[in-house]
Amino acid sequence: MTGARQAANRLGAACAVALLLGVCLAAAPASRARAQAGGGSEGQPGPPPGAALRAAREKAVAASAAADSLAAASADSQAAAPEAATPEIPGRFLQSLTSSPVAGVRANVRQTTFYSDWTTDAKLAAKATANQALNWSWEEYRKQNKTVENRKGSLDYNFGDQLPLVTVINGNWNWSEDRTTNTAGFSNLLKVDNKTVNLNATQHKFNALGLVNSVRVGGNFTEQASLNQDLRNDFNEGTAGANAQSGWQALPGVTVTGRLAGTTTGGTRLLGGLSSPSSASGDSLGLGVYVDRGPGTAFFEVTRSNFEKKYLEFRRNANGMIDTVGVPEDEKVVSELETRDAVAMKLDYKVAYGGFKSEFTGTHLTDDVGLATGLAGLKQRAADEANLKVGLKAGRDSLSVAWKYGLKWDDQRIKAATASRGRQYLQERDLVLIWKRHLFTATRLELQYHEGLTQDIAEGGFNANDKDRLTRDFTSRLERGWADRFRTSMVFSWRQTQDLSIRGASSSNNNAKDSYELAPGFTWKISPLLDLDQSYRLYIQYTDYLYSHLAAVTRKDDYNKRGDLVTKVTCRPSGRLTVTIRYDWNRRFNATKSSEDAAGRSLYQRDLEQDISRIDLDLSYAAGPGITLEAGTYRTRDEKTARGSRSTTRTDSGEMIVGGRVDRKLGRQQRVQVSAMVKKVNAFGPSITASSSDYWEADAWLKWTF
Amino acid sequence: MAQVDVLNRRRGRGATRALAAGVTVVVLAAGGCLLQPREAEPPQTGDIVRYLEQIDPANTWDNLETSAEATHAPGWEGAINADDFRYIPDSAAEAQFPGVFTAWGTAREVAFINALYNADVTIVATMRNPGFVVPPSSGDESVWENVIYDLRVTSAIDGSSVRYRGSAIITFTLEGNFWYITEWRDQQGESDPDSGQLLPTLGVLRGNFASK
Repeated sequence: MTGARQAANRLGAACAVALLLGVCLAAAPASRARAQAGGGSEGQPGPPPGAALRAAREKAVAASAAADSLAAASADSQAAAPEAATPEIPGRFLQSLTSSPVAGVRANVRQTTFYSDWTTDAKLAAKATANQALNWSWEEYRKQNKTVENRKGSLDYNFGDQLPLVTVINGNWNWSEDRTTNTAGFSNLLKVDNKTVNLNATQHKFNALGLVNSVRVGGNFTEQASLNQDLRNDFNEGTAGANAQSGWQALPGVTVTGRLAGTTTGGTRLLGGLSSPSSASGDSLGLGVYVDRGPGTAFFEVTRSNFEKKYLEFRRNANGMIDTVGVPEDEKVVSELETRDAVAMKLDYKVAYGGFKSEFTGTHLTDDVGLATGLAGLKQRAADEANLKVGLKAGRDSLSVAWKYGLKWDDQRIKAATASRGRQYLQERDLVLIWKRHLFTATRLELQYHEGLTQDIAEGGFNANDKDRLTRDFTSRLERGWADRFRTSMVFSWRQTQDLSIRGASSSNNNAKDSYELAPGFTWKISPLLDLDQSYRLYIQYTDYLYSHLAAVTRKDDYNKRGDLVTKVTCRPSGRLTVTIRYDWNRRFNATKSSEDAAGRSLYQRDLEQDISRIDLDLSYAAGPGITLEAGTYRTRDEKTARGSRSTTRTDSGEMIVGGRVDRKLGRQQRVQVSAMVKKVNAFGPSITASSSDYWEADAWLKWTF
Repeated sequence: MAQVDVLNRRRGRGATRALAAGVTVVVLAAGGCLLQPREAEPPQTGDIVRYLEQIDPANTWDNLETSAEATHAPGWEGAINADDFRYIPDSAAEAQFPGVFTAWGTAREVAFINALYNADVTIVATMRNPGFVVPPSSGDESVWENVIYDLRVTSAIDGSSVRYRGSAIITFTLEGNFWYITEWRDQQGESDPDSGQLLPTLGVLRGNFASK
C-alpha cells in the first residue's frame, strides 16, 4: 500500500508538473496574441476586454468538455479532415500524408493508464485512402493487484475509384496481457493475441434486368492465440461470404425487395491440448415490401436464417455453464455441433396528417438452437411485440397515447430427454398517456399516467417462480415563467407498485407500495451576477404486506417519510470567476405498524430517524484563454437515532478537490495540441478507504500533427 | 373578419374541451381497471422468505443472499436501483463474453436473475466474507471495497454444481428512504478456499445467461 501511495504521489507530482508546463506553454503564445492584438489596436480597435474574456471562457469550457478523453483528439482530426480536402493533383499517387502521435495519462480512484497512439492518414490517387493506427497502453490498478498492457495496430486501405467495386481491405492486431493476483495470492495471466484480415467489396444500387441491385462479397481470416489459467484456446479460421439484394418497383411508391446471403467458415481450433478442424456455414433469405405514399410510410420484412457450426468446446452442464470439476482430463473438452434456425418478421407504419400522428411496430421472432453434444440440448425461443403510438395536437392541447404488448417464451429439451421442460413465458403490457396544456401566459401543465404489468408464467408450473409486477404512476407538473428572471414549478406524483409471487411457496412477501411526492421549486436570476435555486421535496411511502395479518408472516406494514430542502446560489462576481454554494438538508424517518385501533386506523412506531446535512462549495476561475482553475469541497453530517436503543450516532464525511484544465493549440500552424485536466482529491469519512482518501484524477495528453 | 376570428376561437375551445374530456375519460377508464394482476396463493407455513428493511446498505446486500437461497427474484430486484444500476465485469468474464456486458443496467440484471432462478437451480450463497468489515454509511452514498461473495449453483436437472467466488466493489445509494445497489464492479475471481482452484465471478454466470 505504501508503494501504491508513493506511486500515486509520483503520478501526482508528474501531473502537477505537466499542468504547470501546460500553463507555461499556453501562456506564452497567449502573451504574443495579446501583443499582436495590442499592436493592431493602433489602427483597429480590438473587441472589448469583457467580451474577449467571455469568448475565451466559453472556448475554454467547450474545450475542456471535449478534452476529457483521447476521443476528443481523434474527433478533432476527423473534424479537421474536411477542411483539408483539396482537389486531387493529377499524376501524383500520394496526395497527402498526415501523422498524429499522441501521448497521455489518465488517472482516477481505481486506476492509472499511460497511453500513446500514432495514427497516419494517407490520401492517394483516385480517391483511395490508407489509414494506420498503432496504440499502446499500460494500466495499473489501485484497488487490486493487477496490471494490463494492451497493444493494438490497424491498417485500412480503401481502393476508392481504383477498382469498379467499393473495396476495403482491413487488418487488425490486438494483443493484451492481464496479470491479476487475487486476495488468496493466486496469480493469473490472461493473454490474448488476435490478428484479423478482412476484405469487402460492394456494388451499391446498380440497374440490371429491370431491378435495382446491390451486391457485397467479402472474406476474413483470423488467427487467435489466448491463454487463461495456463490453458490454451487458439484458433485459425477463414470466412467467405456474399449477399445480394434486388428491388423491384411494383407501383409508384411501392417497392418489393429480396435478399439472399451466405457464409462459410473453415479452420482449426486448439482447446486444452486438443486440436480439431472447425467449420461453419450459414445462409439467410429475406423479403421486404416498402410503401411510401400519401401521408405515411410502411414496410413489412421477413427473414429466415440458419447456420451449422462445428467446434471444440469445454464440457458444459444443462444450463450451459462450464463444468469440468472432477471430470477426467480427456473428457473436459468435447467436439460440438451447433445448429440454429431463426425467423424474423417486422411490420412498421408511420402516418402523419395535420396534428395527428401515429406509429406502429410489430415484430415476431423465433430462434431454435440445438447442441449435438452439450447437455443443454435444444433451446427454443420466441418473442412477439407490438408498439402503438398515437399523438394529437389541438389548439393549446396535445395528447399522446403509447401502448405496448410483448410476449416472450423460451423452452428447453435437455439432451436425451423425452419431453421439453415447458415454456417459461414473460408477458408485458404497458400504457402511457400524456396530456400537455398551455394554460395561459407562460404557464404550462403536463399530466402523465402510466400503467404496466409484467408477468412471469411457467407452463405447467415447472418452477414456483410465477409472479406479477403491476406499476401505476401519475405525475402532474405545473410550470410558470413569471418573468425572464423568475420561474416556478410544482410537481406532484403518485406511484404504486405491486409485487406478487403467485405460488404459495414465495408469496409471503407480496406487497403493494404506494409513494407520494410533492416538490415545489423556483429559480430566480436575481442579477447577471447572482442566481438562486431552491426546491423542496416531500416523499412519503407506505408498504402494505398483503399477508402481514398471518401469524407466520413476520413482515409488518411500514411507513417512511423524507423531506429534502436544496438551496443553490450561483455567483459570478467577474467574467472569470464562478462560485457555487449548495446546501442540502434532509430529514427522514422509518416507522413500522405497531397496532390498529378500533376505528381501523393504523398506528406506527418510529424505528429510525436520520438527519443528513451537506454543503458544497465549487469555484471555477478562467485564468486565461484555455486555462481554467477549479476547486471544490463538500462536507456531510449524518445523524441517526434508533428509537429502540435510544442511541444517536453521528458521522462526518467530506472531500476536497483542487485542480485545473488547460486546452491549447501551439505553434504557428497550431499543430501541437495540449490538453490537461489534473485534480488532487482528498476525502474522509467512515467508508473512505486509504486508496480513496488521497489520489489524483487526471486526463492529460499531448498531440502533434504533421 | 372579427366574427370569423370569434368563430374559429370558439371552434378551438370546443376542440380543447372535447380533448380534455377525452383525456379525463381515458384516464378514469384506465385507472385501476385496465391491467389486473393474478390472484396469488396464500403463503405456505415454513416456506417464508424473510427480507430485511433496506434502511442500511448491509441489509440491502444481505437481501441478495436471502433472494438467492430462496430463488425469489423480487428480493434481488428490490435490492438493485430501479432507475440507475450498472454492472461492470472483471476482465476474465469480459474476455469470455465479449460485448455482452455493454450497457448492463437494471433491465438486463432483472432478466438475468429471472432466467437463472427459472432454470431450476438451487443456490447456496454467502454474499460477504466473514473478514469483511462493513463500513458505516454516511450521507447518501456508501462504497464497499473488496467484498468477497461466494455462491454455489446446483442444477436440479443434471445435478451438476458450479461455484462462483469473486471480489467486488459495490456502490449503494440512498433513494427515498432505502438503500439500493447502483454499481456492482467485479474485480477478479477468487480461489476456492478448499482446493485453491481459481473460481469464476458472477460475471461468467451473467454472461452465460445473457448470451443465450
